[in-house]
Amino acid sequence: MIQKLLRITTILALIALVGGLGRADVLRADDDNKRPPQTLQSGFESTDRLLRDVERAEKAPLYSAWIVESSRFMNVPFGGFQPDKAGLNTTVNLPVNVGIIEGPDHKLTLYDSGWKQLAYIFDWNTSCCWKGIRDQLTAIGHDPSKVTQIVLGHAHWDHAGQLSDFPDAVVYIQKEELKQIDFFLNYPVDFNAGHIRAVNTVDPLTGAQVGPPEQACARTPVCGYPPQTVQEILGKVLSGKARIVDGRHEIAPGLVIHPAFRGHTYGSQLLQVNTARGQLVFGSDTYSSWTGIRDWLVANIQQTDTIQQFLAYEKCYVLTSRLNSFNNCVAAHEPTSYTSAYPLTANWWNIPNGNCSRAAELILAPGKTTHVPGNPDRVLCVNTTPPPHVIRP
Amino acid sequence: MEVGRSAAETVMSRASVLLQLWMTPKTIVLSLLVLGLVGVLSFATMRELGRATTPAPVAPQPARPTRPALTAAEEAFIKAMTPIHADVQRSLMRASLGQILYKTNDLSSTELKTRMTQALATYGRAETGLRALEPPGSLVRDHERYITAVRLLQESAVEGLKMFKDGKDDHLLAAYPKSQEASDLIREVGGKFWPSEFPPN
Repeated sequence: MIQKLLRITTILALIALVGGLGRADVLRADDDNKRPPQTLQSGFESTDRLLRDVERAEKAPLYSAWIVESSRFMNVPFGGFQPDKAGLNTTVNLPVNVGIIEGPDHKLTLYDSGWKQLAYIFDWNTSCCWKGIRDQLTAIGHDPSKVTQIVLGHAHWDHAGQLSDFPDAVVYIQKEELKQIDFFLNYPVDFNAGHIRAVNTVDPLTGAQVGPPEQACARTPVCGYPPQTVQEILGKVLSGKARIVDGRHEIAPGLVIHPAFRGHTYGSQLLQVNTARGQLVFGSDTYSSWTGIRDWLVANIQQTDTIQQFLAYEKCYVLTSRLNSFNNCVAAHEPTSYTSAYPLTANWWNIPNGNCSRAAELILAPGKTTHVPGNPDRVLCVNTTPPPHVIRP
Repeated sequence: MEVGRSAAETVMSRASVLLQLWMTPKTIVLSLLVLGLVGVLSFATMRELGRATTPAPVAPQPARPTRPALTAAEEAFIKAMTPIHADVQRSLMRASLGQILYKTNDLSSTELKTRMTQALATYGRAETGLRALEPPGSLVRDHERYITAVRLLQESAVEGLKMFKDGKDDHLLAAYPKSQEASDLIREVGGKFWPSEFPPN
């Protein structure tokens, strides 16, 4: 009898303990009133809202998805990319991945638009493998004229570079991204000699080179947006082919933009895509490194608030929580891209006549035929010779 | 000594009892099962790690192109152009973003007019400054291209400013191709003159 009473008491105590923990005032991002400090309202999405987006997307059509390598940074110091890896004292090669998403209507959405400035391949002398996205699309069996939308994860030159090559496509960019460039462009110079507002490595006041030669203005807010890139965006705005969004935005059922403000730049944004392997989440440089997301390490810190980058990682964990988890986060510069070490990208091949650039098929919608060649070329190659080009083709 | 031996015997005896208690058929089978599972897990982990680190075959790499060193005259000329270039880029950025933010109703027409007027003045000063420079023979073509770019920017700004006279935003669209061409030209020349200008992001 006593033993029975003891058992019942223990069970009741356990239930009370679990219930108490559940009610504890832990910080959960499921309430607007509890959004993390210094997080803009339009940049905040509660866990509940994200999960509702998953539920809604799961009722939407299934998309197919690929990535192509716009170009590749070679021999980048690992510590420069991921501070926690600085001790390894090694270098990594970083692809610049662009997402290609095909809807049930066979129209294509690009996530990022690669880089345009071919000169960089020579200038930095460590880059390789550039190929125009239109050519890449054709070479992997897509029709470039089917590109109707381009979602810019952020507007740095290596991700927003070929917009004018898709004159009919509508570009999606966050207002916050544009506002921050403008704000810092006009930042007072009284106490920082113009460094904070540096557009490039040239000091706007003295004309002198800013920062150490190889670091330059990399971490200043405006650096990374050459006038040429801003012009590309202006062209879209003036021709009525730009949608300036503020926070979450559903482009189509199963295709949802999520803000990731200061996850890399002030107006960074993610793209959730409903597929047969669950929700894919494209992250541009907010998700620079997939292993970074897996291991909770920050990466590619530019105008990044590292807490916001972690919160953006968490958004991926929430959106992919039903299937495949972090394996469905799509990174822009993951060094292990196009290998089995990054399983999502394991089905890769060299793009025919692609100057050593690579493609990977991430997932196909049911009934969709593969774009992977029957006998794919999977011999890793490097070509640092700039392809012949003219300024205005 | 005697005490020590006795303690050792006690420990041995306890261990023997524990062993006898453990050596039941059920625990033996369970232990074998656990060991088997650990073995399978270890094998799978090692196999996955091996697969992850297996490098893809690599084709031979061609030699990288190297940038030719600048002569003293070239270096001096580029140095003289640097502040002009910085002014032009900043003005172009302010004018471009001004137009974008005007279109999104985040900048007033008056503010846009101010920016575009300032930009036009900067481009004019830049052209004067550029023409005052004497490039070495090897850079004459690039010098001319930069002047062409600055002239295009002036023409573009003049066209755009017309909107403040007749109130038609279409002038901005008409002005755009010239500013786009100019920005392409500036980037091409900039890539040659200031190779580290825009680092990887």
